[in-house]
Amino acid sequence: MNDYLSLLHDAVWLVPLLPLLAAAGNAWCLLQGAPGGDAAEPPVVRLSEWSALGALLLLLLIDLSAWLYGMPGERRLGTWFGTASWQAEISFLLDGLSLPLATLAALIGWLVLRFSANYLHREPGFRRFFIVLGLFLGGIQLVFLAANSLLLFVGWELCGLASFLLIGFQQQRTTATGNALFAFVCNRIGDAGLLFALGLSAWWQGGFAWPAAPGSGVGIELGALEMRVLALGFVLAALVKSAQLPFTPWIAKAQEGPTPSSAIFYGAVMVHAGIYLLLRLQPLLARLPDIQSGLLAIGLLTAVYAWLRAQVQTDVKSALIHAGVFQVALMLIAIGSGWTALATWHLCLHAAWRAWQFLRAPSWLELASRRPAPPPAWLARHRGVYTAVLQAFWLDRLGQVLLVQPTESFAHDLRRFEHSFVDRAIGEPGQGEAIDPALPLLRADGWPGRLLATAAVLLQRLENHLLPRGRGGEAERHLRRFANYLANLENLLEQPRYLMMAVMATFVVIL
Amino acid sequence: MLKLLLLLPLLGALLTGAWPGLGATAYWRIALVPACAALLFAAGLAWHYDPAGPLFQFVESRAWNARLGSHFALGVDGVAVAMLLLTAVLTLVAILISRHTNLGGRLYYSLLLLLEAAIFGVFSARDWSLFYVFWEATLIPLFFLIDRLGGENRQKAALNFFLYTLGGSVFMLVALLFLYDAAPGHSFAMSDMAAGGQALGARMQVLIFAGLFIGFAVKMPVFPLHGWLPLVHVEAPGPVSILLSGILLKMGAYGLIRAAQTLPAGLLSVQDILVALAFVSLLYGSILAWRQQDMKAMVAYSSIAHMGIVLLGVATLRPEGFAGAIFQMVAHGLLAGLLFLVVGLLYRRQHSRNLADYESLTGTAPRFVFFVAFAFLALLGLPGSAGFIAELQVLLATLASYGAWAGLLGLALLIAAAASLRVVGRLCLPGKPMALQDMHRGEVAAAALLATAILLLGCWPAPLLTLIGGSVAALAAGFGS
Repeated sequence: MNDYLSLLHDAVWLVPLLPLLAAAGNAWCLLQGAPGGDAAEPPVVRLSEWSALGALLLLLLIDLSAWLYGMPGERRLGTWFGTASWQAEISFLLDGLSLPLATLAALIGWLVLRFSANYLHREPGFRRFFIVLGLFLGGIQLVFLAANSLLLFVGWELCGLASFLLIGFQQQRTTATGNALFAFVCNRIGDAGLLFALGLSAWWQGGFAWPAAPGSGVGIELGALEMRVLALGFVLAALVKSAQLPFTPWIAKAQEGPTPSSAIFYGAVMVHAGIYLLLRLQPLLARLPDIQSGLLAIGLLTAVYAWLRAQVQTDVKSALIHAGVFQVALMLIAIGSGWTALATWHLCLHAAWRAWQFLRAPSWLELASRRPAPPPAWLARHRGVYTAVLQAFWLDRLGQVLLVQPTESFAHDLRRFEHSFVDRAIGEPGQGEAIDPALPLLRADGWPGRLLATAAVLLQRLENHLLPRGRGGEAERHLRRFANYLANLENLLEQPRYLMMAVMATFVVIL
Repeated sequence: MLKLLLLLPLLGALLTGAWPGLGATAYWRIALVPACAALLFAAGLAWHYDPAGPLFQFVESRAWNARLGSHFALGVDGVAVAMLLLTAVLTLVAILISRHTNLGGRLYYSLLLLLEAAIFGVFSARDWSLFYVFWEATLIPLFFLIDRLGGENRQKAALNFFLYTLGGSVFMLVALLFLYDAAPGHSFAMSDMAAGGQALGARMQVLIFAGLFIGFAVKMPVFPLHGWLPLVHVEAPGPVSILLSGILLKMGAYGLIRAAQTLPAGLLSVQDILVALAFVSLLYGSILAWRQQDMKAMVAYSSIAHMGIVLLGVATLRPEGFAGAIFQMVAHGLLAGLLFLVVGLLYRRQHSRNLADYESLTGTAPRFVFFVAFAFLALLGLPGSAGFIAELQVLLATLASYGAWAGLLGLALLIAAAASLRVVGRLCLPGKPMALQDMHRGEVAAAALLATAILLLGCWPAPLLTLIGGSVAALAAGFGS
């Protein structure tokens, strides 16, 4: 029995892999130039759907065994890579936090796949959508199931990539691609925090395992400052992914994707990835009350912000997403106050509920037979507040002025510097001048190129003196000239007067 | 065993030469048989050579001129086995791609096989007098091959080559006679002479080593004794260029290694000079390779640079340096073979070696595109190609012995990369298309044989390193490391 159980638990690596394999299969068909059309859609859907269902069933089996025989805990499947001082392992953590979330994500993923089959019928890029969704499902399962932060980072990046591709799904629309880029760049800020934390974790802890509870005797005890720096990196990543202030604007812009993708990303699953990360870090956060109170403050601010923003939205998807951010902010408040169990419950319930709402969003007009409520009267009375809310408190503008514009002008200056100095100094490919009119293909540009050309010309001249003859060689001519001198000398020596002189000179030397 | 290996191509040459009045293709078929047999035989030799056993195996010795102390002694160590195998492979390749040439049949193939027999002799001789005889014997078929079948300046080139190498050999002969005189046993056997040479004083060793070095440096070639090489490589017919650059240059390096075993103190006292010469050769060859628009000349100059790496590896007097140098001999043999093969085939179709006369081959000649790109990228020593393993080891040895000077090696490789990427960019990237007949099946087979060997050695160098391991250890032991 135990053997079967451990076999089952070790098969958990299939959960992230199955959707990825389905995505790879679909991508392969796409690369092979598989035909489009109605007939091509069912196999695509079937492949994705079966893989998602397989992952779901496997997770349910694991859940069942966990319910009957207790939590399996950490499963180590091997070492990915490493050096003498640290190891990156392929390990999965199956506990009370990860299993429910992973199961829920698998369920929502499977439902969304089924929903999308009809929703995207005859859309251009049908196959592409299912490839990206497969990437996302694989990524999010890695995030939830990974037992170390490095493996989580792999899933984290897969989700980021998938969100970029889904927001820009309609490639022909510039707003879609612009928003995709905006969301991606925002997410990179969080990735930077995560990478920072990963590096420190490898440096200080010799691995990427989750920080253990204090006094458990597991892992290396860190100093207070080190713990804080490490936690800040993770918290930054979590805040960006869960769209908390000041990173909230990206999620509003992410509404460009097709509806099922919005459902699974922002509403249901990905917006919770940050909360999940914080829950995972609970043992660490519990020892850092200052960071916890910071989280509490950010949660409060975001809640107010999202609530106000939700009042003035005119389309259903935006209203839903702001409502979602509001709920996530409440979870953050719960975490900041140390009520992690509450946050976990809230997370699961919210994910399920919001997914359902998002999937219903396209038929909202039909479902809601009346006009949506206007903004509340008190808000309408305060013109200043109303404008501020409508403009999202100028967060976009602030980011533009404080970050984007200085970066742009700096980049512009650098480009100019590079163009007028660096490019000229090191040379550009294909820009050089021929070093010899007879050899048009030998071009040299920039200082190193010119130096090389000069050296080549000089060396070729030397080479011509070394080559005997042919190919411009002159050594033979030099030899001939030398031989002529010798012949002349011999001729002179044959004449009596010089012969006599030579003989006399010999006598002088001998005497 | 080794006698048989020498006899195989010799018999083939006699057979081809004596069979009158057949067509060129029939001679090609006849010549293929001994070439294939020699390759199989060499492969069997490598298979049976036991790296854990004594250093020299398959030894046979017979007194040749007892009064002079010369022997007909044959025997091989790991280096020699590798060189024999390389010779067999490259000769087969040279014959394979000669099918569609107008080089004529009878004379050409019998000369090629004669050349192979002589080179086998050089690599398996265990007696300096025998070595010298075979060394000079390679000149005769080569002279006629170039003089009869080369390009427009062939007579000049053949005469240059002959006189230049003969000039070098004179120094070698004088040095050998000195050594013979100085050695107590009055025997030409390599082991006896090595015992005698090691017992000599350092000054005497330096003098004798200088003589030997001049002989080998002409062949290798080392700056400034490389004068014969550019003209000959350019004028020689394609298949002969393969043999010249692939094997003949290695004879110089092989001789240098044997000389290093014989006169260690001499080598030790001129170590710095040799390293300096190696660096000069490297930079000189690379810069001039960059300067050439003639593809064959470019490859010829890059050969000088690559043989500079061999000299550098030997001159570091470290185990990894020796291993790198010997590995580079094999790697460069295969690589130069492939490069001259591709360039020779291009020349045969376009009748021009000037890069400006070629345009993009993509779409019209995909096989050419593949092999040109492969060969010129392997010339860079990219990881995965055999050159990388060799250059890496030499680089490590140089770093350990000479520190920052190793940067010069990197600089030379960079310049050579610029030259070879120019060819790749012109021929293998999209551009103005040019019509060119693609490679034939036999030519593809020959090129694929070399390319596979380069890749295989680049990805799995262990067998070759094991094969030469014993020789490297013996060499390094002579220098106390």
